[in-house]
Amino acid sequence: MWREISKFGKKMVQCGLTHSHFGNISVRVGNRLIITRSGSMLDEIDENMVVELDLDKPSSFDTIASSEAIVHRHIYKETSALAIIHAHSPFAIVQSMVSSTNLLIPTDCESKYFLHEIPIITGGVGSKELAKNAAHALKDHKGAIIKEHGPIAMGKIVEEAFVTICSIEHACQVKYFTDILLQRKR
Amino acid sequence: MFGWNGKIANVYLTEKKTEIVPLSEKFLSKYLGGRGLGVKFVYDLVKPGIDPLSWENILVFATGPLTGTTCPTSGRYAAVSKSPLTGSIFDSNSGGSFGPELKFAGIDGLAIYGKAEQPVYIEIGNGKISIKDAKHLWGKNTREVTRELSKLGRVACIGKAGEKGVRFANIMNDYTHTCGRGGLGAVMGSKNLKAIVVKGDRKVSISDRERYKKYFQDITRLLVASPVSSKGLSEYGTAVLVNLTNYMRILPTGNFRFSRFDFAEEISGEKINSVFPIKKTPCYACPIACKREVRNTEMEVPEYETISMFGSSCRISNIQTIMKANRLCNEYGIDTITAGSTIACHSELNGEELTDKKLLELVELIGEKEGIGEELSQGSMRFARANKRPDKSMQVKGLELPGYDPRGVLGLALGYATSNRGGCHLRAYMIGPEIFGKPKLVNRLTFSGKSGLVQVIQNLFSAVDSLVVCKFALFSVGEEEWANILSAVTGIEFVSESLLEIGERIWNTERLFNLKEKFSNKDDTLPERFFREDGGVAGRNIKKEEFLESLLEYYRFRGWNRKGVPTKEKLARLNILN
Repeated sequence: MWREISKFGKKMVQCGLTHSHFGNISVRVGNRLIITRSGSMLDEIDENMVVELDLDKPSSFDTIASSEAIVHRHIYKETSALAIIHAHSPFAIVQSMVSSTNLLIPTDCESKYFLHEIPIITGGVGSKELAKNAAHALKDHKGAIIKEHGPIAMGKIVEEAFVTICSIEHACQVKYFTDILLQRKR
Repeated sequence: MFGWNGKIANVYLTEKKTEIVPLSEKFLSKYLGGRGLGVKFVYDLVKPGIDPLSWENILVFATGPLTGTTCPTSGRYAAVSKSPLTGSIFDSNSGGSFGPELKFAGIDGLAIYGKAEQPVYIEIGNGKISIKDAKHLWGKNTREVTRELSKLGRVACIGKAGEKGVRFANIMNDYTHTCGRGGLGAVMGSKNLKAIVVKGDRKVSISDRERYKKYFQDITRLLVASPVSSKGLSEYGTAVLVNLTNYMRILPTGNFRFSRFDFAEEISGEKINSVFPIKKTPCYACPIACKREVRNTEMEVPEYETISMFGSSCRISNIQTIMKANRLCNEYGIDTITAGSTIACHSELNGEELTDKKLLELVELIGEKEGIGEELSQGSMRFARANKRPDKSMQVKGLELPGYDPRGVLGLALGYATSNRGGCHLRAYMIGPEIFGKPKLVNRLTFSGKSGLVQVIQNLFSAVDSLVVCKFALFSVGEEEWANILSAVTGIEFVSESLLEIGERIWNTERLFNLKEKFSNKDDTLPERFFREDGGVAGRNIKKEEFLESLLEYYRFRGWNRKGVPTKEKLARLNILN
């Protein structure tokens, strides 16, 4: 399973969706989840850079998991997700900071069809509040943006979550440039 | 002066005199407090070659500029002396509330000289210090002494082990908090000093409260965001490490013959939480709260190091037995790592499997220094040498290695070898980057890139031990945040680099002390076992040539020559007079 995580970890970095040791990826297998380790770089994932956790029972192994493990766990419990990706992509972060509402409406055609709307949620890194808000938002959305932090998306496979992360970033990028040009026109 | 009190108390036990002398801001800015202050005093005042258990040794208790503030994890102090176990300079660091109380009493620390004719204790009130008769306390263990004196204030004391000169006797404060490892309790005992009791009501003055508030929030936020501090340590205490180290095959088993224990689950943090109702007993100003006891029993939950030494290293899988051994050690005032490791060494030498009963008997014999306990009370290095098998002692510079097999964490291996106080994980806690991924996950199975990292972390820890704050906060909080809050408290501008430079100055001062005590680069090594045997994981033994190459690289990073001696240029840059 770590190979799938590794494959999309590399793609995330190649696409500029995250860098350094930011971001995390997990998959669910039964009542276990396999998640990237705290401090790992997503384009350097091997079998030692992931850790397996119990979905219901936190353990000492949570200590070496990504600090967002609590958020992943909560989403898995509340939704049908089998894979989750969290990125630190810049345009999504920017849009979450300038948006005056907690819903971002994409302006490009594909994102409109695919995402409809993107919730902007709040909560500190690795906090229960964030875990609750993320799980709530992903009950009826493919992805959301954690304010000032980055997008989080779920899927039945890692690729599906990856596509959603790409779509969110694309929608935010298009909106960013559109807003600039519209402002210049005025 | 802000942050510090600017005063230290000198206590001359032979002459039965005390005095309070000023410390300048310039001096304190150079060594900060805690470990740095103690190291400077011991380096300046202890003559090379003296017997650590003679009147000529001195013992320093020192707080830091952050001690006694509300800064997270700042409830700590350091004790520094020449160690009777290692013969090196030695600082121990303890939490609880004794350190802050010392600060509230209006002094930054106390330096104890000479030897009392009869057993005494020192009482410190606001601005007043007296030496009092302790004959009625002699022969008693730590809990009883603390209970008797606690009506007068916060207590740091020794048990019977310190009185009898067990070379790894601890100083215990606030009942269960420990200045451990190097036998500073025996130094206290050699001076006929049974206890120190302190009471104070002065607040620590802070230069800029607005800035302080901001940096306080920064640090708190980082502690909350880190799963190591806010979840792992907070939920399981340091016992969180048992299952992790076993999984990673670095849990010392059978005196480091193996690196995995089949019964690790039975002695794990998860097991403790499932069997016992736990009450958190945090140190002063600590939001992590890793210290715990069993509710309604006053039975302390052992630390990871204790569990690994009395548990896997002695092959004991009954957590209740380990808890009893831990309790006995705290009562007598004995270091659990050295006790467990020395007993494991004894067991290997004898070829005997330890029983639960035998383990507890041996701990008690060490505390009483009776029978085989007399030999074991010397520590594993002297015990193994006396039995003509020095290779069976798992120590560096005379200090027993703690609960991480260096074959599976090579940065820590280099940290053990180069530690100024001997085989210690807390000089550069490489478990942060190599296991927890804090601040960044690094490959634990290579020496590559470790030399530079180890020496920077050693410098940082030296500074942090001088503030004095808890090393566990370093999983989340870096030098920048510490420098910021230190500036806000003292009104003197510190930046990350100045903090690291102070740490480097302390480290080099310690090194100079040890060189004068005839330590050399030959002592910067590991037990041969780790080079020869694989600990049950094929190919996992440390390649000696790689280790030596890494050691030389470490010396280069330090600005030392190939023999590990600081160069004149380095000492001049650090403003250290040799």
